[in-house]
Amino acid sequence: MEQPSIPSAQPTTVEKLISFLDARVGLKEMQAKMLNEPIPGGSRWAYVFGSILLFIFAMQALTGILLMFYYVPTADHAYASTQYIIHDVDYGWFLLGYHFWGSSAMVVCVIAHMSQVFLWGAYKPPRELLWLVGLALFGIVIGFGFTGYLLPWDQRAYWATTVGVEMVDKVPVLGDFLARFLKGGPTPGQMTLSRFFVIHVMILPAGLMALAGLHLFLFRVAAPAGPFSGTPEEIKAKTDYFFPRQIWKDMVGMAVVFATICGLAFWEPVVLLDEATPDPGEYHPEPEWYFLFYFQLLRLKVFAGEFGQLMGAVVVPVAFMLLLVTLPFFDKDPERNIFKRPIALISWIFIMAMIAIFTVSSVINREFLD
Amino acid sequence: MLQPKLKSKVRCTDRDIGEVTKVVLDPLSHEISHIVVSMNGSGERQVGMGHVQAVMEDLVELRAPSSDIAALPPFKRDDYVTTHEVEISHLEDNLHVMPGEVLVPFPALEKDVKRRTFFMNFTHVIGFLIGLPMAYPILRFLMKPMYMPFDNEWLQVGNVSKIKQADLGVQFQYKKKVKEAYMPESEVEKSVWVLKASSEVLDKVYQGKDQEFRDASGKLIWTNKKDFSYIAFSGKCPHLGCAFKWRQHKTLGQVFLCPCHLSIYDASGKVLDGPAPRALDALPIRVSASGEVEVVDMEFKAGVKSQIRIV
Repeated sequence: MEQPSIPSAQPTTVEKLISFLDARVGLKEMQAKMLNEPIPGGSRWAYVFGSILLFIFAMQALTGILLMFYYVPTADHAYASTQYIIHDVDYGWFLLGYHFWGSSAMVVCVIAHMSQVFLWGAYKPPRELLWLVGLALFGIVIGFGFTGYLLPWDQRAYWATTVGVEMVDKVPVLGDFLARFLKGGPTPGQMTLSRFFVIHVMILPAGLMALAGLHLFLFRVAAPAGPFSGTPEEIKAKTDYFFPRQIWKDMVGMAVVFATICGLAFWEPVVLLDEATPDPGEYHPEPEWYFLFYFQLLRLKVFAGEFGQLMGAVVVPVAFMLLLVTLPFFDKDPERNIFKRPIALISWIFIMAMIAIFTVSSVINREFLD
Repeated sequence: MLQPKLKSKVRCTDRDIGEVTKVVLDPLSHEISHIVVSMNGSGERQVGMGHVQAVMEDLVELRAPSSDIAALPPFKRDDYVTTHEVEISHLEDNLHVMPGEVLVPFPALEKDVKRRTFFMNFTHVIGFLIGLPMAYPILRFLMKPMYMPFDNEWLQVGNVSKIKQADLGVQFQYKKKVKEAYMPESEVEKSVWVLKASSEVLDKVYQGKDQEFRDASGKLIWTNKKDFSYIAFSGKCPHLGCAFKWRQHKTLGQVFLCPCHLSIYDASGKVLDGPAPRALDALPIRVSASGEVEVVDMEFKAGVKSQIRIV
């Protein structure tokens, strides 16, 4: 390492403090290692989603901790305390709205991140483990959405959980046990709320932090995959470091996401329905919008009856996840250019189109129910 | 070919010109791309590996005369960062540029320890012995409230005077007292659908047989007589547990319709359309002389063909 040149003036207090810490922690080397990561082929807007997800998680943790100052996870107070946050606590509507819309942003960015990795062929060897840990993180994000949805304890919450847990019940052999284990009893109640609360605020955050750390570690070990086309010379010529160009793009992405979530929290504030109870009244149960396509899928005739339900609630989603898990192990063709991987491209377009079509049709279906 | 070592002498076709002071690595291939040569005090030159003829233990032979090397531009240190300042994984894995092995002494106390494998396994055993007695209590701890005995009490849900017409689904909303674990007793709103059934509908529901309800031990709780004209359906959809409604359908007429996944049932509870695996669940029902309807609030597992009681 280069010796720093001797400064003409006396070092300031801040400089002294920094050199004190640096000597003991190795701050400068750590910072250099973090910022000076070569990005083959240069920074891109397509690479921003990982950083954005980390940012969204940090904000969810912050707003979530703040909500816990007032929220009470009991069946007789959850609803009232959530209403209190919305109506009485200063800026409670904003922090709750941010947390609520932040979860949607998380799902959108996870799908974008996974799509980018898929289209760039970045899951291929030697990045299999990175992809697997990413899939586990995807599961955790879905778990956050599902458990968090129950906490306000309104009708929407109650029915999304009722139907969601019934689907777990369809797992062969273990289903009944798993569903009761999740609910803490035969029907949703206080035990369910307690369990979902603990899962939402303790188990999933711990899991996410551990796995996100592992994800980043594996990412650094494997190094960024870089663009899917171009000769090594071209890629080398365009290579830059994580700082400053990629960080700049990431920051712009974060700012856009932040502004969007704030806007949604402001213009689409969270409004609770009636307090949860086993009689829905005139309410038509529906899951959160990002589960609507799946909700609509379960309405199909092919998923009718006992066998159909096993297919719809268990076999299809499990098979799809298994397909994603095994993807890097059977798709070993080193070709990463998406325009030279027709099956991958068509599959991705097909899945995205299905999600769009089924989401739209479930929205159209709403009209026929009233 | 060997890799050039630091401090190796560098020899041109005509004479020695200095020694290797640094090596430059290609970040993509992780190979040495250049050596940096100290020109015996007259600056440093960056020499590509293409110039290297042979590498020996402590000597690098170049295939160019010293004048060619001296004519190269001086080495610019500022164009490079050290491997400590950049994150390129596995960079050092296939490099052997150190002038020799770097060693630290092995502590004296460690030299005589023979049973390393034994101690390693021993730590695993201790860990297992700590974990084992925890596993079952933790499982039981979490399972405590999962299974509960059934409640077979009769609940008043409303009066039959509410029903104006036969074979028409009428919702009876009622409050049920619940006492869950440590929670104070509270009331939840529930609903059942009650029908004054015509004889055709009764035939479809009971198929000529009285319906018996038993508790977990098999003891008979109640029998719905096949000719008793009031029927109560549990408000829970047998598909995935949503709550269904009585609705006018374009082609099927008046039906029970679940807004969740669009299961449709006729007045007798039979599935007409949609994903439901079985008919609506009839509950034990009795009507007092004054017309007060009473039911036993039961819930059955959703999504299976057979009726399995869970509450």
